[in-house]
Amino acid sequence: MTVPGSWVEAVVAAGAVPASHIPEASLGRGDVDEFIGADPVEGGELRVEPLSDARPLAPAAVCFLDGIEQWRVVGYGGITPIVRAHAAAAIRRRGPERRLRTVAEATAEVAITRLDRLPAGVRRALEGAGVRVLEFPAEEAGQPARALAAVRVEVQRTRTALERRLGEAWLRALAAEEWLVVDGVLSDSAALSEHPRALGVVKSHGAQYFEGAELERALTLADGHRTGVFRPKARGARRDIYSWYVRLWPWEGNDLLYGLLRLEARAHPETIALASPIAAWIRAERAPVATPDRRWDRLLYPIHDVETYLRARAPRDLTPLPASRLPRTAS
Amino acid sequence: MIERPDPASPPPPPPLAPPIGRVVATEQKPATPHQFHFWTANETSIGIGAIVRVEEPGNGKGETGKVVYGVVTDGFAYSDLATPLHDVVGAEGDPAKAAERPTVRQEIRLWTAAVLRQTPEEPLQPVPLGQVHVATDVDVAQALRMDAYLGGAQPTAIPVGLYTSGGLEAPVYVDADFLLGPEAAHLNISGVSGLATKTSAVEFLLSSIFQHFPPHKGRVAAVCFNVKGPDLCFLDRPGTLDDEDRRRYQRLGVAPEPFQQVRYFAPFKADGVNLNTLRTHPDLVGDVEPLVWGLREVLDYAEVLLNRDDIDAKADAFIDFLADRVVDKEFEDGFGGVHRVVTFADLERLFRSIFDGLELAGRGGGDSWRTHHIATMRKVRNRLANISTRCKGLVTDDGPSNDLPWGRFTDRTVYVVDVANVDPLGQDLVFARVVSQLRERLERRDLGVEAVVVFVDELNKYAPADGPETYVKKMLLDISERGRYLGLVLFGAEQFRSQVHRRVVGNAGTVVFGRMDADELATPGYQVLSPATKIKLATLPIGELMVRHPHFTQPIFVRFPRPAVLRGRDGVERYPPTADLPFEDAVARQLVKLDRRVRPNQVKDVIADRREEDVRRALAHTRQTRPHDALAHFKKQLGGRVAAAPAAARESVPPLNAISDEPY
Ligand SMILES: Nc1ncnc2c1ncn2[C@@H]1O[C@H](COP(=O)(O)OP(=O)(O)OP(=O)(O)O)[C@@H](O)[C@H]1O
Ligand SMILES: [Mg+2]
Repeated sequence: MTVPGSWVEAVVAAGAVPASHIPEASLGRGDVDEFIGADPVEGGELRVEPLSDARPLAPAAVCFLDGIEQWRVVGYGGITPIVRAHAAAAIRRRGPERRLRTVAEATAEVAITRLDRLPAGVRRALEGAGVRVLEFPAEEAGQPARALAAVRVEVQRTRTALERRLGEAWLRALAAEEWLVVDGVLSDSAALSEHPRALGVVKSHGAQYFEGAELERALTLADGHRTGVFRPKARGARRDIYSWYVRLWPWEGNDLLYGLLRLEARAHPETIALASPIAAWIRAERAPVATPDRRWDRLLYPIHDVETYLRARAPRDLTPLPASRLPRTAS
Repeated sequence: MIERPDPASPPPPPPLAPPIGRVVATEQKPATPHQFHFWTANETSIGIGAIVRVEEPGNGKGETGKVVYGVVTDGFAYSDLATPLHDVVGAEGDPAKAAERPTVRQEIRLWTAAVLRQTPEEPLQPVPLGQVHVATDVDVAQALRMDAYLGGAQPTAIPVGLYTSGGLEAPVYVDADFLLGPEAAHLNISGVSGLATKTSAVEFLLSSIFQHFPPHKGRVAAVCFNVKGPDLCFLDRPGTLDDEDRRRYQRLGVAPEPFQQVRYFAPFKADGVNLNTLRTHPDLVGDVEPLVWGLREVLDYAEVLLNRDDIDAKADAFIDFLADRVVDKEFEDGFGGVHRVVTFADLERLFRSIFDGLELAGRGGGDSWRTHHIATMRKVRNRLANISTRCKGLVTDDGPSNDLPWGRFTDRTVYVVDVANVDPLGQDLVFARVVSQLRERLERRDLGVEAVVVFVDELNKYAPADGPETYVKKMLLDISERGRYLGLVLFGAEQFRSQVHRRVVGNAGTVVFGRMDADELATPGYQVLSPATKIKLATLPIGELMVRHPHFTQPIFVRFPRPAVLRGRDGVERYPPTADLPFEDAVARQLVKLDRRVRPNQVKDVIADRREEDVRRALAHTRQTRPHDALAHFKKQLGGRVAAAPAAARESVPPLNAISDEPY
């Protein structure tokens, strides 16, 4: 095992120009607005259900899975960036004592670059440094800005793979009364999307499943309500899944997406029966509020907690400093 | 004497326990050489006053890092809640809902500790950000620097109590060289009535001192002024202890026994035959010795009586004149009379003949006598007459005095002087004379012991923070400042430290606090204590004390066992004081005490129709002579005039410095 970061020195010693740059978070965001479409499975049209009468599901224990990614350009070979990336994922379990404890975690340290674009010495040094090297596609290599956007995709891929592996492994150990709540979609994983007690909680709404009146119904959902369950149209590698929206806080006075979550659970009749209890449960998770995170209106506290845990353990040199440190201007 | 657990071979250290905390430092709350912060699990045995050990991780080359000992002075708990408003929002304004939320927020227990000691001591650096462990016995000894006096060829450790925290218990010792001189001396204890256990703590500590006073320091005794009811009247009687007390005694290496040698002194009541004490139960009164002083003893300390009302130097001069030239001498009054002044009555006769003489000479004879103004003489006469009436049972006109055994003090003996029922003026006189005698004798090294602890309860009455400069106050100040070189050690107790003269408390090397009054804690003298320590002091349970001692960088909390002596309150229940006896019965009882063969009725026959003064005089003489046949001696004394006691050389009392704010 390499000491994290030590490969950077080897690469710099081999002639890479040292760099220190953390690209802006907005760079090359993955979720592009797209229309996917869906089929309501609870009634013929997308419905709206109040949760006031629903009895919230109260699992004996819940495991929360989330991950983080951090990366930094540590050098350049010519104009090809060499990036050091750290991804980590953890599962924290909440038992009857209502406190979260870590039950599983995994980290990955990778270098991301385009090997064939590096000077030979630098390439050799990197390949011999004992770090896993990922490459972004050749066609993105010419322009540093596009290269970085491509790197970002690789970093995210690394993180989601880590999360998926951790979650799948944990499912096998999940006790009978226990649920696994995942930050994000379930449908990336066959095991997750088929499990009776796995729940995906999605807070970004880049993808749209409805149009017209149905879309309006979904996006103007009142506080304490859920939509009917629907089945998103299959796309790419995504598995068959059931999904529904729930509103955690009144959106009026804020924004359409304020307090709006989309839930994912296995495509199974049981899910329809559980849709209200699950939605009521998740709505109850809005307290304690996950401040100071800016997304607190839809970030569940336990997920926030997993993230805090992972950030506290991340390598110090990759965590962006709260205040700016000169020089650092490229973006 | 009980063996102290040998510090050279301490019990084997327990297997290295896991750390209970970690030092954290931020820019806002950095670690410094004197203070650090650490966090623990939410459930922890740590509390205010706990002693902890911080270990710097080794440098990987086999060298161990710094070790720092600290005492917890403050604690903080908080969660990741950014503002209280967010809690309200999350609960939709309903506190009941707040309790239902599915996840408990992350919380922290953060503690502040003050550094007790760093090893190595040099270079003095900020506390390393290491692991925190609870202190063991050995750590406590290190942390409080007790290793310096606990071991070695001549250990000087005196057990004071048990440091107790989270199941761990370690004996705490003070250093005799710093408690009883010469390095530092004196002890002051304060705290609210009843809950602070001040008197009890001093009783326990005295017995610990008697059992652990290092042999190389010689002999030690204690003089305790009983100023409150029956407080110190039963120091030789065993009290009630429970198992926990006995366990603490055992852990401290102190035998739970009452004092083996106690001598009680009390003046008489006004009748001159009944003792003015609550230790008058027939089983116990036998070993109470009367404290009786005559004109000579009073005149030596007449300054006490004068200072109160600020009498001028002229009065002093006249008193000196009386003491040097008149008392116990053939003295010619200048008007043709010859006097031999031994008693107050003799003195009164002299005054009368002087005033008569002056009056006769009057009209041209002037208003002074031998350079002393008549007004000065009248003042002095009034003061002396006053003391002899107000303290009738202490100050006698009837024959010889009876005093503490000056020059014959014995090792590990407590001398209780009961002045609880004596007029304040008389109390001052007793203090002044007893303490001055101790001071002189210790200075001359002929007291009989090398060190004396003087215990003064209700110190605020005798050395108040404000009020006039009385002789007693000056004297207490003098002991506080110079006593440590002489082996004259003041143990003072009071409810409110702020009410005692600043330099009297300031000179106490060892300071003890029991449960404190919150208003008192708000006074400026306690600013150095953290708010948490103040709260702890204000809620301190009975039997727990906070101790400051020169070796301890920070105050330390300890628990001590109940004193192994009968409490005053219980004493008067078990040994109820007897009602005052009629004059002849009291006289008979005293003679029986001197000589078991004496029959009370014989005594009553002998003293029938005799003047009480004559009876008292004969009794006093018999008491002092301790003849083989007490009744015969008594009869003989009663028959004729008692000869005056032989004149003793006047003992000089070194002058006391005026009270000033300069320490020297
Ligand atoms: N170590 C101890 N453990 C438990 N109780 C104790 C201990 N020491 C003393 N006590 C009890 O506490 C009570 C008060 O003690 P003490 O008379 O010494 O207090 P004090 O501070 O001198 O009060 P005051 O100001 O009224 O003189 C007594 O009844 C005594 O029995
Ligand atoms: Mg008391």
